[in-house]
Amino acid sequence: MRWSIVALLLFAFCAAAERPAVADTFFPYKVHTEILPNGLKVLLIPMDSPGLVAYYSVVRTGSRDEVEPGKTGFAHFFEHIMFRGTLKYPGGVYDSIVTSLGADANAFTDDDITAFHLNFAAEDLEKVIDIESDRFQHLHYELPDFQTEAGAIYGEYRKNVTDPFEVLSEKVRDVAFDVHTYKHTTMGFERDIKAMPEGFEYSRSFFRRFYRPENVVLLVVGDIAIDKTMDLIRKYYGGWEKGYAPSNVPPEPPQKGERTAEVVYQGKTLPIIDIAYKGEAFHPASRTFAAALLMGDLAFGVTSDLYKKLYIQDQRVDALEASIPSQRDMPLFEIYARVKKEEDVGAVKDDVYATIAGFQKTPVDAKRLADAKKRRRYGFLMGLDTPDRVASRLAYVIAVTGGVDAIDTLYGELDKVTPDDIMTAAKSFFTPENRTVVVLKGTAK
Amino acid sequence: MKTSTKSLLLSIALCVPVLTMGEGSVNTDDAVLLPVRKDPTICFRIWFKVGSQNDPKGKEGLAEITAAMISDASTRNNSYEQILDKLYPLAAGYDAEASVEMTAVSGRVHKDNLADYYPLLIDAITAPAFAQTDLDRIKSGILSTLENTLRYSSDEELGKAVLYNDLFAGTPYGHITSGTVAGVSSITLDDVKAFYTKYFTRENLVIGLGGGYDESLLAKLRGDLGRLPAGKPEEVPPPVPAAFEGWKATIVEKDAPATAISMGFPIDILRGTKDWYALEIANSWLGEHRNSSSHLYQVIRERRGLNYGDYSYIENFPHGGMRSVPPQNVSRRKQIFEIWIRPVPEETGHFALRAALREFAKLTEHGMTAEDFTITRDFLKKYVLHYAPTTMERLGYALDDRFYGIEGSHLERFRSMMQTLTLADVNAAIAKYWKKGTMDIAIVTKDAKGMRDALVNDTPSPISYKNPKPASILAEDKEIAVFPVKIKPENVKVVPVTAMFK
Repeated sequence: MRWSIVALLLFAFCAAAERPAVADTFFPYKVHTEILPNGLKVLLIPMDSPGLVAYYSVVRTGSRDEVEPGKTGFAHFFEHIMFRGTLKYPGGVYDSIVTSLGADANAFTDDDITAFHLNFAAEDLEKVIDIESDRFQHLHYELPDFQTEAGAIYGEYRKNVTDPFEVLSEKVRDVAFDVHTYKHTTMGFERDIKAMPEGFEYSRSFFRRFYRPENVVLLVVGDIAIDKTMDLIRKYYGGWEKGYAPSNVPPEPPQKGERTAEVVYQGKTLPIIDIAYKGEAFHPASRTFAAALLMGDLAFGVTSDLYKKLYIQDQRVDALEASIPSQRDMPLFEIYARVKKEEDVGAVKDDVYATIAGFQKTPVDAKRLADAKKRRRYGFLMGLDTPDRVASRLAYVIAVTGGVDAIDTLYGELDKVTPDDIMTAAKSFFTPENRTVVVLKGTAK
Repeated sequence: MKTSTKSLLLSIALCVPVLTMGEGSVNTDDAVLLPVRKDPTICFRIWFKVGSQNDPKGKEGLAEITAAMISDASTRNNSYEQILDKLYPLAAGYDAEASVEMTAVSGRVHKDNLADYYPLLIDAITAPAFAQTDLDRIKSGILSTLENTLRYSSDEELGKAVLYNDLFAGTPYGHITSGTVAGVSSITLDDVKAFYTKYFTRENLVIGLGGGYDESLLAKLRGDLGRLPAGKPEEVPPPVPAAFEGWKATIVEKDAPATAISMGFPIDILRGTKDWYALEIANSWLGEHRNSSSHLYQVIRERRGLNYGDYSYIENFPHGGMRSVPPQNVSRRKQIFEIWIRPVPEETGHFALRAALREFAKLTEHGMTAEDFTITRDFLKKYVLHYAPTTMERLGYALDDRFYGIEGSHLERFRSMMQTLTLADVNAAIAKYWKKGTMDIAIVTKDAKGMRDALVNDTPSPISYKNPKPASILAEDKEIAVFPVKIKPENVKVVPVTAMFK
């Protein structure tokens, strides 16, 4: 076949020109790892990206760490506070420096992570290290700024709450978890968001406990020289004092029986079903986790029998998706379906259960399994084409595991998954006594 | 050649595109080419000169549906299920998105998988099956977007859609690409086939090809796309929106948890011209998208904590909530100026509107200061580097350059203009293109009649805070609260949300 020959030749050229230095690993870039005496871990990944650098400060704290009652949403709130500046570079000055660099800068918070990132021209590396190290060590804010920022958070909540999936997610977590902090979303409960302006002193303790070198990983990707970058990092971060005090996150006891709930969305929406199973904390060497990840694709992805039946042929749903997240503690493995007619909700749930039962009893087709593995690998690697994309894909892995070795381990494990492993995963996680089912319906017809 | 899967994959990410902006595209009569030798992927963007402006009257939404019948449906050689099965292991796909004037069929694949991918892409474009079951599914999805998502689930997108429809009412731009409920409901397979035959022709396309492709691929693409129907459709004249002076408002009444505001007016300026880059400096200062350098963001969010962000635009910027830098292939011959106020608490809606209009009025009256000009120009010089770091994005820009007739590259010109433009250039552009005291305002809020009365009577809108504020802010608040925005009763419409997009 003419085309495959062309493709092979093209590949051969590319591979010959770009043979990696790290031949036996899946992750294709060489990672320089160093830990400063104060515990700050630094990961440097030079890559062919003339003139551009991505700089991520990954704090291994997220809404998971919000163990105190009434303080949900604080990790995210604190992400905002970090932009209020220091005595050396007050908020307005910090902003104007970032503006003068033409940097693309932002931050995000999730269950297990708070990350601050800048994407900028390589010549500005020292300035970025200066301002970032400064705010992580010397954050300074006064009560009025703190209270004003609380207003912006409430604005973000108001923006989100019109999305039915947000409303559904709040409910599913609340029902599925009894004691673990995954019970609340990263935005937090609305009553806690309203009370944020009163949490000034608490916010200071948040900074003291979590914004410490042992709990932060610096990830710098792009057009960088290792020695020079390390010298700068030592110079600016060397004086940062230890003091990380981990949260005592209560473990969730095993679930004993199915839980169900309904939630009302103020407005009009098609009904949405969320079928959530207690999963497994992320361990890259866990074969069962790797198998569950592939099962999510095979049972509910776009080539699954169920997707073809419900979305393409019968057209009873307009969305079907599974989510198998990699998290620090036991997360929810979820299957969502948005159903076109309310009377079909029961039948669609039954179809999902029947699909799972099928995966528990019948080994998956070997070619489909091989296709799923291939898709994951190409999908992951094709996304690593700019420093920012590399860094953003690594940030979560770093937050959950503390480094990037988990990528090689996970993809090695994915490679080994057999049809039997998929059956084991189906039987381990996707059982009725382990599930929470929530149906969201709108008020307007 | 025997190579293990593992080592095959090792090469993928190492061959990254070169990010320097100097690497230019090549234009031929029918193609825009962006070869990047080191890129292990190949990028396709096949641009058809058609969009929602070509929707026939009563068939609003036809361009979007036809695009989806290409990208999300069966072909004569494969059912949709078979297509999904074949694309799946390639970790590749293709998309067809209609904007107002452009429809781009785009996709990206690793070289390793080109042989399996290419026939699927070509079939999608040249041999769509036009199956009734696909049309039913696609129509149902778009209707749900109009009737549920837009009306109820995203007040920000609703506000924008209301503004866009109103700005160009009565012109071919006068409906959003998803169309109307009546239009979409009435569309038949015959409509789709006729639209496809008329607009998806071999004389109405430009090939966009980028990345690590082989020369022979272009020849093959030309040959295969040559199987499309013949014909060059007549060009739709650029829209002439109804002229208006002063303020006008459309208030959508719905049980909203907060008040969303979008406002703007059509402007007669397109990228590529010196004035555009000058105005872009002023716009970036006023409201750089998703950036704390935005002045509106500083006034409304940072100092007062009223919402999540406040931005402005001199080009239409679809899906602004989902992306941080401008999209590609949404070019159009008539652009808009737009201010986007993210949802604010209902009791501060009128105040936030006044605050934004006051800042805009100050800028149009006094122009930029020398200091703000220098800071913003220097910011943009570097910030534009983030607009297109990948081959796919740069190919998109290269097609847009072709649309706007820009010789060389918009992004190159952008950077060079930042070296030469002066404060006088910027202030002259503000004076020429921005109209103080003119604005079409779309508001989504619960108490629509209350808002209407407040606008018609120019009622003061004092604000109070639960927490102490500096005296300077409280003093400014007093000015904002009475900043005159008096709208004539005949220029304020109140519309129930159920009447939208009918």
